[in-house]
Amino acid sequence: MATLKLFCAKKSGENLLKNLVRPTSIVQSRSHWKDVGQQKENMAWNDIALRAAKASFFTEIMKGFGMTFAQQLKEPATINYPFEKGPLSPRFRGEHALRRYPSGEERCIACKLCEAICPAQAITIEAEPRADGSRRTTRYDIDMTKCIYCGFCQEACPVDAIVEGPNFEYSTETREELLYNKEKLLSNGDKWEVEIAANLQADYLYR
Amino acid sequence: MSKTGILDKLNVFRQIIKDNGGLGKSIYVWYKTDDMKTGDLVGEDKFGNKYYQNNYYFFGRNRWAIYSPEKHLDYDASQIPPEWHRWLQYISDVPPVGDGAPPRAKWMADYYENRTATSKAYVPYSTVKPKIQSWSPNQS
Amino acid sequence: MAGLGTLLRIVGSPAASILKNAALINVSPITVASRKASQWLPDEDYIKEYKQPVLYSKEVLEDDFVGFPVNLGSVVPEKTVQNVVLNFGPQHPAAHGVLRLVLTLNGEVVVRSDPHIGLLHRATEKLIEYKTYTQALPYFDRLDYVSMMCNEQAYSLAVEKLLNIEIPLRAKYIRTMFGEITRILNHIMSVGTHALDVGALTPFFWLFEEREKMMEFYERVSGARMHAAYVRPGGVYQDLPLGLMEDIYEFISKFGQRIDETDALLTNNDIWRMRTIDVGIVTAEDAMNLGFSGVMLRGSGIKWDLRKTQPYDAYDRVDFDIPIGTNGDCYDRYLIRMEEMRQSLRIIHQCLNDMPEGEIKVDDHKVVPPKRAEMKESMEALIHHFKLYSEGYNVPPGSTYAAVEAPKGEFGVYLVSDGTNRPYRCKIKAPGFAHLAALDKIAKQHFLADVVAIIGTLDIVFGEVDR
Repeated sequence: MATLKLFCAKKSGENLLKNLVRPTSIVQSRSHWKDVGQQKENMAWNDIALRAAKASFFTEIMKGFGMTFAQQLKEPATINYPFEKGPLSPRFRGEHALRRYPSGEERCIACKLCEAICPAQAITIEAEPRADGSRRTTRYDIDMTKCIYCGFCQEACPVDAIVEGPNFEYSTETREELLYNKEKLLSNGDKWEVEIAANLQADYLYR
Repeated sequence: MSKTGILDKLNVFRQIIKDNGGLGKSIYVWYKTDDMKTGDLVGEDKFGNKYYQNNYYFFGRNRWAIYSPEKHLDYDASQIPPEWHRWLQYISDVPPVGDGAPPRAKWMADYYENRTATSKAYVPYSTVKPKIQSWSPNQS
Repeated sequence: MAGLGTLLRIVGSPAASILKNAALINVSPITVASRKASQWLPDEDYIKEYKQPVLYSKEVLEDDFVGFPVNLGSVVPEKTVQNVVLNFGPQHPAAHGVLRLVLTLNGEVVVRSDPHIGLLHRATEKLIEYKTYTQALPYFDRLDYVSMMCNEQAYSLAVEKLLNIEIPLRAKYIRTMFGEITRILNHIMSVGTHALDVGALTPFFWLFEEREKMMEFYERVSGARMHAAYVRPGGVYQDLPLGLMEDIYEFISKFGQRIDETDALLTNNDIWRMRTIDVGIVTAEDAMNLGFSGVMLRGSGIKWDLRKTQPYDAYDRVDFDIPIGTNGDCYDRYLIRMEEMRQSLRIIHQCLNDMPEGEIKVDDHKVVPPKRAEMKESMEALIHHFKLYSEGYNVPPGSTYAAVEAPKGEFGVYLVSDGTNRPYRCKIKAPGFAHLAALDKIAKQHFLADVVAIIGTLDIVFGEVDR
């Protein structure tokens, strides 16, 4: 209870006690405190009359009406989606896509780093050597219903194969359409590569 | 360019009607987009969507798309191809026309809109051979 | 009906008979037959019989006869009386998520409020025990989902404390700056919905326009509008993109006006004052005993703010004031939140001005993955990259508690490490939990409508309460 009284701003004699305790206290000096609480109303006649006038003429309510009316004259802040769209940045983490090299060869080498780092365990990968001997995935499934869009997969990918693209308009009618397989992800990549490449280029200084 | 007076407003209105191609077409645009704006035509993509810009409107409204007339009211936000998506969503200020057009490789696929709820919707399937083959009596 | 009939028969005046007919015909023509042929009603004589002893046999009287009750009408059947129990939520818009409140009412006055929690329980603490230190980070965004980066900051501070690393100064400033942006983000939500709950719709819309702008800052820096996963153990993920600081400056130079507008609408408004002044008073003693923190504690006049008392990141390098309340009611807490937003603007302004150059992560690639360019060229960096993204890093054994002054109060992470790459235990101290637990005490003897105002001022978010 003694400490409580020390902390309490309202208690009288606080300064005295605090000064006694201060030298041994490890707490940082407290200078930057600002009392913003509601103060006691002044009971001088002038103020009472002023308050009465305010209350009887609803000045505050009128002020509020005025402000809201003024807001009506301003331009609305809403945008007319889907004709107008809000700003995005190159870093936006949206729908996943698997990319290809400029030659058309798929990038993913099935190192499974994304599978390992994925906190939601949304990625499943199976791999085996292809006919030409290079290691590629046979299965690359992302459960988009599990995915939490943290972006760790694209951070982990050493060859920039899996990326979270700029698309967020991929809502589906059924749940199963969100269970993406490798073909879907690659076709996403083929569709969006123009923009994904440009976004990665725009952000290369920071990556 | 002060557009505060009543006459200026009327002038802007007249300009909008004119740019939209007459009163009838303006009303159609209004019906379709709930909005009537005028701006410079920045470009048109191969699906017939037209892109406009007018910096008189505030950031966020100064670029807009008018979806292809073929689609009529079946417009959808996912009909915008990636090149223009980048411009429309303010990621880049350079529209993909002329020099701004991004390079395309042969393997890049044509863009198509979100096909959910149509017969072309994506249906998941396994991309690997089944691990267990069922035995059929004809096999030895 | 029978009683009324008796009365009328006794009185028998013409006026009463009109009343009788009207009453019988209008009120219930089905239950009372209008002809009354089959109905017998006790008349005056009949009642009079029972005022005195009636015919009886002596034997019966001597054995066990107890006699008729003297007053036929005075037998009152016993009933159990209980208060109305009202279910508030979990789908109530003023419940701020999935709060189910079982309110026991006495008329319109709440005598007991029983918050039922757990509808958003996702076992975060247990999940974290099975994730590496890197993987556990995105879960913190989802705890208090209106102040995302502060939660990440608490976790990162805890891990850094265990690893015993000091992050670069630039990272500290970025964290501080985004911590304060988060504080504004949260207080906008808090004040806006509080006003919305008690009936003022307008500030909500005005403030959410600003909130949208700040989520764009989040998006530009991390790629996600809300669940950023930006503050990492060892610094922050990426450097601020070019032009972001200018836009933040542009924003904070205008945001003060938005606060003033809300201030003008609410602070002196009679309706707002009547709904909040002297509602939900928490005394300083109660606030301490109930384990409050943050605005709930400062509203009662207690000088406690972790940013001042045990500064973390760059809070010891910036100059700001901590607002303190006097009465501990909803109104004072609202005033504090408004003032904290203004102070946050001050901090952001200083961070923008003092933002040092340099690295944004520690240089130790045993903890922090190397940059991509480095990873693609250097074999050692590639090995570090693979190691960090598959196995993660090992944290020396020990336990620590790191707390930040999140917008809602003290958000703490108690982390126990056993030397492996996964936390042995991660206890999350959420401020909202203690605040909600005290709802019964605060809301007692308040009107039902005030409970809504109190829930608004508690600023609870179920992501962190249920975890």
